[in-house]
Amino acid sequence: MGTLENLAGGAVFLGLVMYAVFGGADFGGGIWTALASGPRARQQRDSLFHAIGPVWETNHVWLIFVVVTLFTCFPTGFSALFTVLLVPIVVALIGINFRGAAFAFRHFGSQRGEHIPFVAGIFAISSILTPFALGMAVTASVTGKIILVGGQAHAAPWFWLSPFTLVGGLVGMAVCAYLAPIYMTVRTTGELQGDFRLRGMIAAWTLGILTTAEVPVAMMEAPVFAGRLMGSEAALCVSLAVIFGITTQILLWRRRFLWAQVCAAGTVAMTLAGFAAAVFPDFLVGQLALAAAAAPHATLVAYFIILVVGTVILVPSLLFLYLTFRGEPDTELPR
Amino acid sequence: MGEIVSARALMGISLGFHIIYSTIGVGLPLLLMLAEWRSLRTGDETYHQLARRWIRPAGVLFAIGAVSGTILSFELGFLWPRFMAFSGPLIGLAFSMEGFAFFTEAIFLALYIYGARRLSRGMLFFCTIPLTLASAVSAAFVISANAWMNTPAGFSIVNGALADIHPLRAFANPAWAHEAVHGTLAAYVATGFAVAGVSAAALLRGRDRAVNTCALNLSLAVATVCLPLMLISGDWAATTLAVQQKPKLAAMEALFVTTRGAPLVVAGWPDPASGKVLYGIEIPKLLSFLAHRDLDSVVEGLDAFPPGTTPDPRLVHPFFDLMVGSAFIMIGAAAWFWWLRWRRRDIAQDTWLLRTLLFASPFGMIALESGWLVTEFGRQPWIAQGHMRVAEGVTTQTGIGLVLFTFLMVYLALTAGLLWLLFRPAAAGKGLETAAEGRHGNS
Repeated sequence: MGTLENLAGGAVFLGLVMYAVFGGADFGGGIWTALASGPRARQQRDSLFHAIGPVWETNHVWLIFVVVTLFTCFPTGFSALFTVLLVPIVVALIGINFRGAAFAFRHFGSQRGEHIPFVAGIFAISSILTPFALGMAVTASVTGKIILVGGQAHAAPWFWLSPFTLVGGLVGMAVCAYLAPIYMTVRTTGELQGDFRLRGMIAAWTLGILTTAEVPVAMMEAPVFAGRLMGSEAALCVSLAVIFGITTQILLWRRRFLWAQVCAAGTVAMTLAGFAAAVFPDFLVGQLALAAAAAPHATLVAYFIILVVGTVILVPSLLFLYLTFRGEPDTELPR
Repeated sequence: MGEIVSARALMGISLGFHIIYSTIGVGLPLLLMLAEWRSLRTGDETYHQLARRWIRPAGVLFAIGAVSGTILSFELGFLWPRFMAFSGPLIGLAFSMEGFAFFTEAIFLALYIYGARRLSRGMLFFCTIPLTLASAVSAAFVISANAWMNTPAGFSIVNGALADIHPLRAFANPAWAHEAVHGTLAAYVATGFAVAGVSAAALLRGRDRAVNTCALNLSLAVATVCLPLMLISGDWAATTLAVQQKPKLAAMEALFVTTRGAPLVVAGWPDPASGKVLYGIEIPKLLSFLAHRDLDSVVEGLDAFPPGTTPDPRLVHPFFDLMVGSAFIMIGAAAWFWWLRWRRRDIAQDTWLLRTLLFASPFGMIALESGWLVTEFGRQPWIAQGHMRVAEGVTTQTGIGLVLFTFLMVYLALTAGLLWLLFRPAAAGKGLETAAEGRHGNS
């Protein structure tokens, strides 16, 4: 279990969880910007925008962390994935690009006292597009339809487009849409807090229904993966995800927002853990084991040395960042 | 064939685009740090105001640098999967280290930009220190990956597979030190001149004399310290190339035939058909001296290597000249600035000096981009010198032309949006009023 390959797989998994839990909430902010409604729609958009501002770029780096860890520690697997998943990856990338740019532009524009609805629109659309495409890519990678022949990856041209991956894309979106409003309940007060509380509860039901729907589709489209999902470790993670999800709803109901935020992150982390447990011990389900996809021993050792040194620098810096920007969003913009 | 050209074009355009933003991402933090430090030290608020004025463009440019860098890290995968499968265990570590440095950068930039009303002035200054350090080391780290492509090290090939891996040797490969030093200095010079150009333009329009004069002093001080160091590190690079990357040096200098006492050819058009440089200016024996510190040493020309393994000098020599020429334009402009300052002339009033600085301002970026093209075209046809050709590293997927077209549109849209934002006239009150206050600019 504790081999370096498995630990490296764990690093990829942790990176994904961090990206989902932090970056996902930012995408959710974009989704709820698009879905903002009711008498306080404008305040909803503004508060989402102010909450994401200082942190989106840091949160985005988790994705780079995942990609870099993949090609350092699993070069063969990385090469295979990026060959066959070209289209969804390009779509996600375009979304990431426009969202980041739109966010920066909007920040710049609002500092000038201008409203740029076109840019805000792009921000919303790309926030929807990206988690959908990433969800599709991630689920397509476990279908078992990627075949390795002589180190070269092959797959049918449109294999990444199926009911299974479409639901996967929706789950990606739902994860983001679930986290953002629950996090916002901690950062807002009064009626606005009530708005986000209600949206968080609706999103939780959506996420629950979609993840449940993914199981029967997986049995048809990704049988090996579905079979492992029923295995003890994956099933344990999935059960924990359900428990976290129900607890979040109860806490939202009882207005214990800080703990609801923690539990919501737990729901997402455990959902991903269930997914990862069903992939393990493979990199490409049924095709390429983690051990076979892994880089040579010396590289993995060096990677973990870098990881430890990097973590020692990163963790205090991140804590400083999140503690500095905690609490009420400061509506006063930078001087 | 079409796929390779598309993949190379896409990678090239993406990098060429990213380099501009990442350069500013390395250079601007240093200027921010120096400005905040000066302000704290002397109590002169002008420097603090200057730094706070830079954060708006810094935030936007850094964000675009981050997303265009993400595009690159993905492109490594979907354009060059076979190269990454081969080299990932070696150059991946440089990227991992860069990732952590970049993470640190993103954190402290966010603190600096958004922390104005939450952190003390001393703390704001403190944030610029890890920001500057992290951006410099992230440049040095990522350059290691490029240097490895030029001088692959730290492994051996047994039965077609990687063996005997030494990550540290791969990281600190022979070309790394001079590339990292030269590249990081280039970022400081390019940012310095870009900032000087913006300030000169503002002074020409008679805007904010105090702040813009401070900006000129600071940005040109940084550029002026770095320019001589650039020449020294450039010379170091040339002598190292003469040993490690002989075909690249031959293409840079358009030396077709191995020559004893080789001349340095300035400008001119290399003509492979005749093996001569047309319209060039020859300085006798200088190349031999620069390469080996000996006027009569032998410098290998392109003919010393098997056909099909050397770069095309038409793609390398002109960019090399452009890079060196740009450096001299900047040295001239900076020298004039300091001369006038030494003579205690009023810089803000000297229209011709300001116009010269404005003219010289893009040459830092031009030098940096052309230097990068020299490195990349000079490595052809190899993606990993001597080990893997570009054609062997490209993806097996088809339709890269369409992806190229898509990203061209993305970059055009981004650039248009950015230019629109940066060059629109500022709203009344220098744009400091907020949307929350309900005031709308001149939109």
